[in-house]
Amino acid sequence: MYRKLFYTLNALMLAAFIVAAIVDYRKEWREYQGRYYRLMAADLEGKARQSADPEQTKRLRDQARQLRGTPLQIRQIIAKDLGRVDRCITCHVGMDEFLNPSLTTDLKEHPFTGHPDVSGIIRSHPLQKFGCTVCHAGQGLATELEAAHGYAENWEKPLGLGPLLQSSCVKCHGNLDTLRGAEVVAKGKKLFDDHGCIGCHQIRGVGGVISVDLGNIADKPLERIAPYNFSLIKTADGKPLPRRDWKLPAWIEAHMTNDTIEFVPNDPFAKYNKEPIAPSGMPDFRGEITPEGAKAITAFLLSQTEEEKIPIRYYVPGPPKTEPKFAGAAAHGKYVFDKHGCSGCHGLGGAQGRRNYNAMGPGQADPRTDMDKGREPALTDTVGTFTRDELRAKIQAGVPSSQIAKFNPDGPTPPLYMPAWKDKIKGVELEDLITYLLSIAKQQEDF
Amino acid sequence: MPETTQGPRAPSGFNLPDFPAVKKSVIDSQIWRSIFRGGIWKDTPRDRAAHVIGNVWLHLHPVRVRPRALEWTYTWGLGGISFLLYLILTVTGVLLMFYYRPTVELAYRDMKDLEFAVTLGTFMRNAHRWAAQAMVVFVILHMVRVFLTGSYKKPREFNWGVGVLLLTLTLFLSFTGYLLPWDQLAIWAVTVGTNMAGATPLLGNEGPFGSLLGMRINNDVRFTLLGGTIVGENTLVRFYVLHCVAVPLLVGALLILHFWRIRKDSFSAAPRDPNEEKVEVWPHLVVREYIAAAACTLAIMVWSIWMNAPLEVEANPNVTPNPSKAPWYFLGLQELLVYFDPWIAGVALPGLIIVGLMAIPYLDTNPKGIGFYSWKDRAFANTQFLLGVAMWFILIYIGYYCRGPNFAWFWPWESWLTQQPPPPPTWNVFGPKGDAVLPTWLGVLALGGGGVLAIVGPKLVQRDLSGKPLCLGFAGLMALVAIGAHFIGHLAWLQGFWLVMFSVLYFYFGFVLPQRHIRSLEWPRYVITMFFVVGMMSVLLKMGARLGFDIKYVFTLPAFNLNI
Amino acid sequence: MADIIGPSSGTSQQAATPEANQPPAASAAAAGPRPIAAKPAGQVSRRDFLWLGWASLIAFLGSSAAATARFFFPNVIYEPSQKFNAGPAESYGEGVDLRWLNEQRIWIVRTPPEHEQGPGFYAVWARCTHLGCTPNWFGDQGRFRCPCHGSNFNLNGDVIAGPAPRALWRCAVEVTATGDLMVDKAILQDLPGLREKAPFFARHDA
Repeated sequence: MYRKLFYTLNALMLAAFIVAAIVDYRKEWREYQGRYYRLMAADLEGKARQSADPEQTKRLRDQARQLRGTPLQIRQIIAKDLGRVDRCITCHVGMDEFLNPSLTTDLKEHPFTGHPDVSGIIRSHPLQKFGCTVCHAGQGLATELEAAHGYAENWEKPLGLGPLLQSSCVKCHGNLDTLRGAEVVAKGKKLFDDHGCIGCHQIRGVGGVISVDLGNIADKPLERIAPYNFSLIKTADGKPLPRRDWKLPAWIEAHMTNDTIEFVPNDPFAKYNKEPIAPSGMPDFRGEITPEGAKAITAFLLSQTEEEKIPIRYYVPGPPKTEPKFAGAAAHGKYVFDKHGCSGCHGLGGAQGRRNYNAMGPGQADPRTDMDKGREPALTDTVGTFTRDELRAKIQAGVPSSQIAKFNPDGPTPPLYMPAWKDKIKGVELEDLITYLLSIAKQQEDF
Repeated sequence: MPETTQGPRAPSGFNLPDFPAVKKSVIDSQIWRSIFRGGIWKDTPRDRAAHVIGNVWLHLHPVRVRPRALEWTYTWGLGGISFLLYLILTVTGVLLMFYYRPTVELAYRDMKDLEFAVTLGTFMRNAHRWAAQAMVVFVILHMVRVFLTGSYKKPREFNWGVGVLLLTLTLFLSFTGYLLPWDQLAIWAVTVGTNMAGATPLLGNEGPFGSLLGMRINNDVRFTLLGGTIVGENTLVRFYVLHCVAVPLLVGALLILHFWRIRKDSFSAAPRDPNEEKVEVWPHLVVREYIAAAACTLAIMVWSIWMNAPLEVEANPNVTPNPSKAPWYFLGLQELLVYFDPWIAGVALPGLIIVGLMAIPYLDTNPKGIGFYSWKDRAFANTQFLLGVAMWFILIYIGYYCRGPNFAWFWPWESWLTQQPPPPPTWNVFGPKGDAVLPTWLGVLALGGGGVLAIVGPKLVQRDLSGKPLCLGFAGLMALVAIGAHFIGHLAWLQGFWLVMFSVLYFYFGFVLPQRHIRSLEWPRYVITMFFVVGMMSVLLKMGARLGFDIKYVFTLPAFNLNI
Repeated sequence: MADIIGPSSGTSQQAATPEANQPPAASAAAAGPRPIAAKPAGQVSRRDFLWLGWASLIAFLGSSAAATARFFFPNVIYEPSQKFNAGPAESYGEGVDLRWLNEQRIWIVRTPPEHEQGPGFYAVWARCTHLGCTPNWFGDQGRFRCPCHGSNFNLNGDVIAGPAPRALWRCAVEVTATGDLMVDKAILQDLPGLREKAPFFARHDA
């Protein structure tokens, strides 16, 4: 019996080892790279057939033969300055400068196409110096499809697809407004400024302290995003977010394409806690920001990183910002209004107060279901009832959240409040801001 | 196709030569003879003995063994498989070292290279990982087997001690290897593990009395282990050297000692028949060893093809995963952290377990039951030991499958995404005013008196008690108490259940069994044995006190960081 | 080897006796044959020598072990300094000060004289114990509130509401001789009773 076991086990061990070797050999990249060489060779042979010049035919045929005989190997770009090793060109062989110096191919099949805009973006960003992932994100060291594109579970930064790709420009470029190809991210930045995000969020210390600092939002690890948030996020067609997209870009975007109350519900009815906790204070922007706008803002925010170390000589500064100090009091006031993100709570142009959970608001009836109808004041309605001095005092002192009247007395404290601006808005800025505010106030009937 | 099977095989251009003839010519060649000592092989008993004695690797075996030692159902091959796994780990480990650089910048990148760019890199890493896990399991199983067959008794006491050291070192090897991939799993498992070291009494900055000796985060025993205050570059190098050089050498030395003692003390297997003949090791034992080794290698290979070793996001000291769990074999201890302060769960209990295991051969002087599985002769030893092993694995199971974010309880089928209410507030029994309900002096009295009584008690009753009615009677009494307390003292039913369950468990294992089996032991052995028994049972009692009654500490002295 | 040897320079007790000053050869000759029990001063018997030899070996092994153990304590470590100078203590008003929040992630709290522990300082690490976000200070409510999942902490750092499992960490603080406030983020404490004592609370009278 032992003799038979001996033979069987030996055979099985050999078999297992062969399987291991085959599994190891059959890596995805081999298939792609081999296919590229075959397709390119076939392409050349086709050209050789059409060619009238026998010399050229021979040359093309030789090239094709050479291509077919190229040994398969992992190819990589070592971008030393940026501390990156990118093996993307192992499959995207058409973008390997040494194999295909023109970086264009006649192949239409996806991983084998050349890089677009070779004369522009590649000329100014040589591949050997920049590599791939500094712009495209994903996992440069990987040689398998899911892992390389960053969808594997152990990789935080997936490939930046479509407009999200442009977020990488902001890492170095300050001159967004004039940068060709960065239109989306420039639009995202503009939307971010216009909608007063800075009123609650900070970007590297500049901005409000009502919510989190977004200056390093692109570094936010998945561990810090509660997984159940992802399970509550919905895509544009109302379906749950697919598991593969449970990554930072989708999470940031969801703050503009979902109602945040739904995916950061917290505990407004004190089910798990001793006292109620308001849901996320983030306004529901679905009415104001289009899905494209949300994508643009996401692209802009994904550029906000402190982790990535890029040598200082890679930076391109933007033009200095000009402050319209002498454009008239109201115009300067509008500038101050936008600079401090007042529209974050009071709406664009102060025309519509945004949601403030469990504050007083229009149309409230049932204290349990209507807490989300709470509103911040719309300035166009309210500032008219103040004198200049009263307005000045109000802006300077702010309204702490304990002084905001709750709609449901047993409900949570409203998440938004008016900060005290006395240290931030002073002198001419304050006076011009008041002038601006009074200029947008609706005229009262009984004047 | 009948045509082909009829008649002699059609002559072909090439015939395989006769195997025995080739074998003979190889074996009789001068080269073979010079490598393997001995003359022409005649397969006599003398030849077989010479084969074992004359071979440096085989001569760790005796020449002849008792037939029982060959039975699969006696040894299960566990010790041999443990050693084989050590060899597999050495080979794969050395291979992996060629592609691994232990620095914070490169370690994780090298893991990725192994996965994506090294021929058979993934396979080697998987094999190393899974063999390591398997080795922990097999070493523990081997220990259980040796215990159950009484193979640690005189004259093998010392070798059991060596075995316990080897078990400890196996766990330590596995633990040090855990850090090397430098992913989130690695640094946080190691952070959790080493934080326990910081709670060592006297020597750790968070341990009881540690502050009295001036222990701070940058001069205590944890600092030595980490080479810094956080798990960082120094820790990686330290663990690398420990994992690849220092501990394997130590394990190798102890293994030689272990094997040599087995050889000198002879295999423990008892004769089935007093007149039986011993059997030759070559080929009987060696063949079985080879079969076990081949089967085990095959299993590791298949496992490594089928499943990849985990690799999470690159280590980030600023981001703590929730929950962060220790490696699975330490999860029992981490689960105990829920019930005890770190110095007990992380230092005192493991220390006591190791010392207690080593003390077993010197405490258990029962001469019966050596070399075979026996339940009747060794009822007490077997029950207590298996209870300990079972507790260890139950705690590991709970820690692995039932603990979610914030180490809160989730059933294995529950989603971690559900929100949970915070745990109920806890209270302390004995301690200074304001911290506990009852005063400190009463606690010293109660715990001291209770401990002495628990240890001495079983020996005081020197007559035969009938176990079954006694246990049933006690259970009934406790049930009555629980029911009474439910109606008088508003004791919840669940609390009553915990009360009955844990007190009956204690009563049976901590009183009835010792009373029946070891009451006639002489005092010193008796007291030490009971110390370990009561110690193990108190762990159970404290768990019951927390689960049923939200008791945080039975006894607390916050000034000295001493909480029990 | 003879059973008598010269005085050992290492044994100070014997070196102190006057006989010890004799040259070794002279003392050996003077002793001559004698009963083993008689042990002339200044000479070391075989038994003493045995003890000495073994004691030396043990001392050697012990000190080597101690030195090896010491070897494992690095004298310099390459970790970012966790200690920082938070400026003159007098520059802080009562209550929570946010000036180090962005740079060091620390709130400095100055307690008023009527506080339980008296007037002084403590430093709170601005890291929510739930998922590590940075909470914000709400002076009107006397609370730190985490924007991520709504954990609330009071001025002491205790959890009032929300998913945070434990109180905010406090760091070691001290007021130096120059009147500066030193904060050490490496030394943390969150247990009531311990965190109100030095080094986590620095008493400082205005």
